[in-house]
Amino acid sequence: MSRYYEFFCPVKVIAGQAALEHLPYELTGIASTRPMIVTDQGVRSAGLLDPVIAACQESDVTIAAIYDEVPPDSSTTTVRDIANLYRQQQCDALIAIGGGSSIDTAKAVNILVSEGGDDIAEYSGAGVLTRPLRPFFVIPTTAGTGSEVTSVAVIADRERSVKLPFTSSFLLPNAAIIDPRMTLTLPPQITAATAMDALTHATEAYTCMAKNPLSDAYATAAIKKIGRSLLSVMDHPRDEEGRLDLAEASTMAGIAFSNSMVGLVHALGHATGALCHLPHGLCMSLYLPYVLEYNLEDIREPLSELLLYLEGPEVWTATPASRRAEATISAIRHLRDELHHRCELPRTLRETGKIGEDQLDAIARQALDDGAIIYNPREASLKDIQNLLEKAWG
Amino acid sequence: MLAKLTRSAALRARRQYVRTMFRFMGHALEAISRSDQKVIDDARPLPEGFVFQMMVLPSGPSLVLEHTGQGELRYLGDDYDGKVDLSIRFKHMAHAFLVLSFQEKTTEAFANDRMVVDGDIGYGVRMTRILNRLESIILPRLIASRAVKEYPADLGLLEKVPGAIGIYRRVLTGLIRDLRKEALPI
Repeated sequence: MSRYYEFFCPVKVIAGQAALEHLPYELTGIASTRPMIVTDQGVRSAGLLDPVIAACQESDVTIAAIYDEVPPDSSTTTVRDIANLYRQQQCDALIAIGGGSSIDTAKAVNILVSEGGDDIAEYSGAGVLTRPLRPFFVIPTTAGTGSEVTSVAVIADRERSVKLPFTSSFLLPNAAIIDPRMTLTLPPQITAATAMDALTHATEAYTCMAKNPLSDAYATAAIKKIGRSLLSVMDHPRDEEGRLDLAEASTMAGIAFSNSMVGLVHALGHATGALCHLPHGLCMSLYLPYVLEYNLEDIREPLSELLLYLEGPEVWTATPASRRAEATISAIRHLRDELHHRCELPRTLRETGKIGEDQLDAIARQALDDGAIIYNPREASLKDIQNLLEKAWG
Repeated sequence: MLAKLTRSAALRARRQYVRTMFRFMGHALEAISRSDQKVIDDARPLPEGFVFQMMVLPSGPSLVLEHTGQGELRYLGDDYDGKVDLSIRFKHMAHAFLVLSFQEKTTEAFANDRMVVDGDIGYGVRMTRILNRLESIILPRLIASRAVKEYPADLGLLEKVPGAIGIYRRVLTGLIRDLRKEALPI
């Protein structure tokens, strides 16, 4: 474990029943009268904007503009278009409602409307921003990415065929609003995959090189909530309490991993997502048990501890100390199998039907250069990653 | 008064140590990129003319390398002030000293937020692998194990010793050239 660490999360978290109705108060508190909503068609057609708009109307806050065409993989032109709309409508705050793409897009829009200009690429990189941006609020509609509490955004530059990263604590929102109503209608497979994404964030935060006592606290709390509520939400999708558990777990896991980073599961997931366009949460679910097995001897102690949070005190005490790390991996495999049983979430790369075995080598090579690999407790070589992918193939 | 003077001397010595180590590493990286196939393979995908800088904030010392193509790196010295494609900047001299005196592994320094990386992270990972390879070859195993995450299991003495001798010879030549330049500025 590190003898030194840094921990930072200035985001106000507003969570629970009727949390959305707190938004107008928050806006009024910073003298915002003309906020703009950034979202996507899926969110709008699911009726998820309605409670937000209704909450604002009742409190004399006017939504000055709504942009609802954020694509799944947002680009620099989308960011420019939204920034222009924001300026035309003289908006004074941003509200992102959606998953990772809408949130990342709104973060990038906030850079342009605060700093000026039309070319978001000029602000790409780390440490470019030097002052606070415009007021910004996030209402997540998935429970997995944790983007509402991370200080990064990734936007595609299609002209140059590159993904532009933006890193700054100024990208963080003023507040994240976690309301169980926003995830009640998530389809089963997305619920499962995004929860496994959050579980992976928490597990890697707890077992990788930059783990620290504060992120550990968030990670274990997130794992406990996922262990308790994921399967019950799969069985009862309209269980508000369970949905809130998963949404809170996602935010807590986001706080954990943004302060202690992630490792080889994410390196593999980023490469697989980029080359095979497989959803990120699904990649996490596929790779997590195999990477934990690969790292086992370097993470035996923290992995043993996670059994308590994932399976509860009875299982933990009934399991011999020397077998707890393996039992944690077995519990994750069991969770994965149960999700497959309930919603056919693939368990192996082969089961996805979207990857050819001939692509594994390219995935391995790309994963080797992914930034997350630095934080993995074991130094993974190309051969190690190739072996791991063969196991995950199934 | 004496304590103040001692402390000041210690800080100067630490700065000089970091400067010397950067210079040594600059020449050593240039040397290993001409002899070690693993380093050449790792450096080859870098764009030609790619400039990598490692420095201590706020104003140095630093080491700057350029990829001249085909996996070869060229040491540009410590006073380069042109465009940089990838920089790894230590937040403080104390942090650079921890890494360069092998009290903290490079990857640990990343995990501990000792450094700020600006540029393509994928290239940063490659440069970290190259640094690890260099340290594994030129340092005795006991010290190298403190500097890298995992000492390479496949690095035997038959590969390590000739590799290290070749690198030290080239570094010595480079350092002598530097000294001559400093003594006889054109």
